Amino acid sequence: MKKVILIAALLFSSNSYALTQKIEVLGMVCAFCAQGIEKSFRSDENVKDIFVSLENYFVAIESNDGKIIDEKLIRTIITDAGYDVKKIEVVSDTVSEIRTKYDAK
Amino acid sequence: MLMVKGSSLICALLLISHQTFIYAAPMGFKGSTTTMSTISESYSSVESNYAITSKDSLGVKAYTSKGNGYKLRVGEIVYVRKLLRVNKMHSQTNLWLFTGAGTMSLERNVQNDDHLYLSPTLQFDYETKNVYGLISHQVLRVGHENFDTTKIEGGFSFYETSYNETQPWFILKAKNTNSIDNKNKYTPTLRFINKSIYGEVGVTTDGDPSFHLMYTF
Repeated sequence: MKKVILIAALLFSSNSYALTQKIEVLGMVCAFCAQGIEKSFRSDENVKDIFVSLENYFVAIESNDGKIIDEKLIRTIITDAGYDVKKIEVVSDTVSEIRTKYDAK
Repeated sequence: MLMVKGSSLICALLLISHQTFIYAAPMGFKGSTTTMSTISESYSSVESNYAITSKDSLGVKAYTSKGNGYKLRVGEIVYVRKLLRVNKMHSQTNLWLFTGAGTMSLERNVQNDDHLYLSPTLQFDYETKNVYGLISHQVLRVGHENFDTTKIEGGFSFYETSYNETQPWFILKAKNTNSIDNKNKYTPTLRFINKSIYGEVGVTTDGDPSFHLMYTF
């Protein structure tokens, strides 16, 4: 319910908000394996940007059209790369902002 | 253009790389091609496989192996099946089945015979961002000869890194191939992982250097 409210609020508010999906990934312990996730998402032309955080076990993706990416597609890409999805949430930060925040830590 | 140059460079590096062969990350993500190479005093190989699904890959492999009066020249088709994958927040555990089928030219002293063979390998590995362990056993029988191989590997990373940084590891490898190895071979190894590139540098306790490079396209 919270997610629906957040999405609705973001859709009807300023365009400056981004719809970024933050995906907690199970088993993502090595960059050699995790690069499959990045390559697969980047091959989708609707994906504008992606950030992989090995330290915090999550992937953040942002779409080109400003809409959220189908969760089923996200789960398929993560599973095809060999991992499992623990949780998907929508956040208002852009991927660039998330990258800056976590790279600074 | 840069991509083409980069790929050519990687291919060239693979062709000149040296190592004691391992199967640490035997296949990539669905739709990817993983290429690896081995050249050393006793063992040389080149292999490439394509991940048909997230659990299956099909590839080709050629290798030579020698020791204790034997010399093997092998060409095979390799099918890799991920039998089990357990993903936890801080770890992944895998059970693999490799099946190689091909032809072997077996040379011992002055005798030289050609054989068809089928060779299964079971591998179990466990990995976190800090520790790594692997155990595998390959069954390879040709005629009356037994070339079964057992490997055990374990190690740790020196420190955690971000996704874009190179992570260094120390790995100790132990290996024995029946008929070819008179004793267990031990190889202290430094491993470096940076996204698509996976490299290793090691020296066996007998003083033989070994290098490994693997790339996923």
